[in-house]
Amino acid sequence: MIFALELKKMRRTGFAPIFLGGGLLAGAVPLIDTAVRTETFTRLPGEPFSILMDANWSMMAQLTILLIVCGCCLIYHTEYAERGDLKMRTLPVSQIGLFCGKFGAALLYTLAALVFQGMALAFSGFYWFPEGIADFPKLFAGMGYELAMLLPTLALMLLIASFCQNMWGSLGAGVILTFLGSMIHGEHLTLTMLPFAAPYRTLYGTSAADVKTGLAICAIQTLLFLLIEIIYLRERRLHV
Amino acid sequence: MNIIETRQLTKSYGKLTAVSNISLHIPKGRIYGFLGPNGAGKSTTMKMFLGLTSPTSGYFTIDGKTLSSERIPVLKKIGSLIEAPAFYGNLTGEENLDIVRRILGLPQSSISEALELTGLAQHGNRQVKKYSLGMKQRLGLAEALIGKPPILILDEPTNGLDPVGIHEIRTLIRSLPKQYGCTVLVSSHLLSEIELLADDIGILNHGRLLFEGTMEALRDYAFHAGYPADNLEETFLAMIQTDNAARKRGDDK
Repeated sequence: MIFALELKKMRRTGFAPIFLGGGLLAGAVPLIDTAVRTETFTRLPGEPFSILMDANWSMMAQLTILLIVCGCCLIYHTEYAERGDLKMRTLPVSQIGLFCGKFGAALLYTLAALVFQGMALAFSGFYWFPEGIADFPKLFAGMGYELAMLLPTLALMLLIASFCQNMWGSLGAGVILTFLGSMIHGEHLTLTMLPFAAPYRTLYGTSAADVKTGLAICAIQTLLFLLIEIIYLRERRLHV
Repeated sequence: MNIIETRQLTKSYGKLTAVSNISLHIPKGRIYGFLGPNGAGKSTTMKMFLGLTSPTSGYFTIDGKTLSSERIPVLKKIGSLIEAPAFYGNLTGEENLDIVRRILGLPQSSISEALELTGLAQHGNRQVKKYSLGMKQRLGLAEALIGKPPILILDEPTNGLDPVGIHEIRTLIRSLPKQYGCTVLVSSHLLSEIELLADDIGILNHGRLLFEGTMEALRDYAFHAGYPADNLEETFLAMIQTDNAARKRGDDK
């Protein structure tokens, strides 16, 4: 019920067009890049999916992170603009449940954006590479891994947005973290597993052991941010 | 029987005490007027009743339950409008009420009933950000009244309304205990407003409860305390001025 309510609250906010448009924009990256530099890519050894991810994923990941930043800011701006959050706090509903509902709704739209990107990668593989993308399970696993890597970023950004009644505060923090993440993503494993940096990792470029470690770290980070939100909601009642 | 009771309820923000040791007794099925100048602690007390802020010390019960242990069952019984109407401007009036309805588990018909009750029936399909101030206030009231909760907490409910709107809402609030048997806690800084609405009255100043009782008891109290008793507005002002003077003397010492 809460999930449906959160989706309803997003009506006429521009949330859906932003995510779907942003997903299409990120999906256009491999299409345009491969169309313009076809020979450069088709001559490279290796699987088309790996080649396409190598060439385009950094840009696609950054666009997806920016989408998440904008989306989370928009979700809480809708709550704070006309004090809708205050009404929710006076109703018999779990406040952490509402946060989880927002997380679920944003995750759904992030998934939709990733589906567009996966479709664009599949199309590029089939259209420009002679052997095409033969291994669909690998494509699905790859996009699933990216979704898992995005979870802590989504949870942290939603947490930041819930702290800031002024949307410009959370938007500014989100943009700074996005660029910080893009600067550290190639460095040491510990740094690359931080939110805003982890989404740049790819499944094929990671060893099996690191994949398991990475997924566990992402799950822990996501739960940690949820825990911080629980503490924040409790403290806000004591000090406000 | 008192539906809301507080015992030595206190709320402090650092060195500032917004509510100081107040013990309220709000009887069931009546309209209790909460009167005090701006900054007296009326809204803070109401916020505590709704769990928006926690007491620094003391406690309160609502229908015999404490909010800290039974938050959801307590909030199910309360409809509220605090400080200003709260809503989602991107949604229509009906959609805003539908969110509240779903959370409270009410039937679909409760939306049209609440809109009808507050005179918004013709504007339910409009986006709330396009509403006038008075319409927003009415929507806030509709959100509080939806499902006819047994307890209503209304913080300055006639703010932003024109004289006709004030009269309509006042008549509506006045009729609620008889129609639905609910208890209404209504705050205002205007004695004339409270005088026309309330059965019982609590007067707050700087977080302290100066008086609690019926209107008749207030007149008796004013007469015996040497305050002007003919005009309640003057009684109220005299009580506040006396209290302020006493506080000032206490501060000077």
